[in-house]
This record gives sequence, C-alpha cells and structure tokens, in this order.
Amino acid sequence: MVKLRARCLLVGDTAVGKSALSHVFHSDGTLFQKNYSMTTGVELLMKCVNIPETDDSVELYIIDSAGKETLVEACEKMWGVPSLLCLVFDLTSEQSFANCSQWMERVRAHCQGLHVPGALVGNKSDSSARREVQASIAQEWAESQGLEYHETAAKEMENCDALLLSLARAFHSLYQERRETIQNLSPG
Amino acid sequence: MADSSLGSSGVKVVVASSGDENHPPENILDGNTKTFWMSTGMFPQEFIIRFAELTKISAVTVDTYNVKHLKIEKNTSQKASQFESVTEKGKGTSAGVRLYFIFQLNGSSATHLRFIITAGYDHFVSVHKVNVKY
Ligand SMILES: Nc1nc2c(ncn2[C@@H]2O[C@H](COP(=O)(O)OP(=O)(O)OP(=O)(O)O)[C@@H](O)[C@H]2O)c(=O)[nH]1
Ligand SMILES: [Mg+2]
Repeated sequence: MVKLRARCLLVGDTAVGKSALSHVFHSDGTLFQKNYSMTTGVELLMKCVNIPETDDSVELYIIDSAGKETLVEACEKMWGVPSLLCLVFDLTSEQSFANCSQWMERVRAHCQGLHVPGALVGNKSDSSARREVQASIAQEWAESQGLEYHETAAKEMENCDALLLSLARAFHSLYQERRETIQNLSPG
Repeated sequence: MADSSLGSSGVKVVVASSGDENHPPENILDGNTKTFWMSTGMFPQEFIIRFAELTKISAVTVDTYNVKHLKIEKNTSQKASQFESVTEKGKGTSAGVRLYFIFQLNGSSATHLRFIITAGYDHFVSVHKVNVKY
C-alpha cells in the first residue's frame, strides 16, 4: 500500500472551465457552477483518488490557476514544481486550443527538467453545435506533447471522473516504473 | 565500522515524510544498500534519525538515487524538534545516478539528525543507506 502525492497544475485560457472542472472534482460530480466567476489568483483543491484493483491512492493537490493573461505572471510564482499537468481548452474556441502550446512552454519552465505527465482536456463537449476544434486534431497535438487527450463537459459532469482517474493513474504508473528501476539498481 | 548497520546500534528513524509499505524508512539503517526508502511525490521530503544518546559525529554519508539537494540539521534534545542547520549539498549531474553525499560534522554532538531533500532529479528519489563515522 502506498499513498502518492502529486502537485497537479490546472491551466489554460480564461473561461475554458478550469474552475468548473475543479468544482466537479471537489463535489464528486454533484456541483456545477453556472455563473462565471473569474479566478484571480490560484486556488488549491486536495482530492484523493484510489487506484482501482490496488490498495494504492494518489493525493492530488490541484492548483487552479487564473487564465487571464494579465494575472498569469503573478500566479506562476505559486505554481512550484508540478508533478502533473492538466491543460484545458474550450472545444468551442479555436483560440483557446491554439494557445495551448504557449501554456505548455510556460509550464515547462517550472518543471526543472522533470518529465511531467498529464492530460490535455477539451471542455464544454455539451455545446456540440458550437464546436470549433476537431477531436482528431487535439488528440494528435496531445500525443506530440506526451499528454493524454480527454473531452469533458463540466456542465453535465461528463467524463470528469475518468479525467481525474487518468491523472492519478499517470502518476501511479510513473511511480511503479521508477520503483522498478530502483529495485534493479546494482548495489552501491 | 564502515559496514556495521546503524540500526543494530540503537539508531532509529523516528519521522519520514513518505511511505511505501514495501520500502519503509528502516531500510535506510539496515546496512544493506539493496534495500531503500523511497519518496512518494513532491518536495521537500525528510526523515529524522535518533541516536540512543548524545553522540559525537565526525562524518555522515548518505547513499541516494536521484537526490539533487540534501540538507542536514541536528539537535541535542530528547525531542525531534527545534533543529539547527548543519550543512547542505547539491550535486550537479543528471537523472539516473547513484549519488553519495559526504558531510563533515567535525565532531559535533547530536541526538537527532534531520535529512531534508529539497530537490530531486526525478519526482521520486530513494535513500539506500546512512552511515555515521564517530
Ligand atoms: N456549456 C458549458 N459551459 C461550461 C462548461 N464548463 C464551464 N462552463 C462555463 O464556462 C464559464 C467559465 O468557467 P470557469 O470554470 O470559471 O472558467 P476558468 O477556466 O476557471 O476561467 P478563469 O478563472 O478566468 O481562468 C462559466 O460560465 C461556466 O459555467 C461546460 O462543460 N459546458
Ligand atoms: Mg477559474
């Protein structure tokens, strides 16, 4: 049995639905905040996720960071060194997807050269009529960045559990890999 | 002296910030470099060892994997609190390296030693052995 701890950065453009996702995580899928209230700093949420078929769990320290351009710099100071990344865009906004590479660069500058696993999330999949980003294109870009691709609708609480579990699993498998490497080290 | 295990001489780990049941902190003191204690995510990470009595220490060696920066504090009290800083070291290499940290304590006395890992070359680091020269 092991309890892992991961600092998970939740980033992406303003109004893509980061805080909405965070609230759904926090309420185990019972709460969606309809009225937009802009995050102006960073908000911390702790969520413990059990890894199915094991006794292991991952405590995710989710850092919901403001997406608004003028606030980003101040927020970055509170990011620390991330263990996991959750990069969110709005499926109904081509621009929010285009900005993902810039977010990726920002995050990398905080990783101290560590490989940080995580997910690219296309949110607002409920608004299918206004969709501007094709799944295949997002998927391809996610793969090129070493991220898993998920589509969610925080509004319908759809796929949010799967996203959370996938983040926890990514960190858990990294742990298992590293443990194996250490077990096989030649004695010093 | 070099290969005796600290564990058998009454030294104990009293605090560790992480724990995988299969790789408990006692592994640091069992004298075996194949067994290890492993951190389970995020930094800083720490562990504290307690000596049976106030002990004069000339040097401490720490056998680690992927540890980038290590700090040592000590105290002379019965409780594992109120530490004073002793020394720190950073190793500039890359990931995937077994690193030995050697700290000269020059005969200073301690009942507790606190090891703080402030950064790693990976999300997870391990400590295989701590040895003390008296
Ligand atoms: N239709 C739909 N609307 C959503 C969804 N998720 C969030 N919204 C709405 O999008 C708006 C912005 O959501 P937030 O979660 O506050 O966005 P944010 O990414 O935290 O924005 P910043 O805090 O400014 O960075 C709100 O009005 C939400 O109700 C979704 O899945 N579907
Ligand atoms: Mg927000």
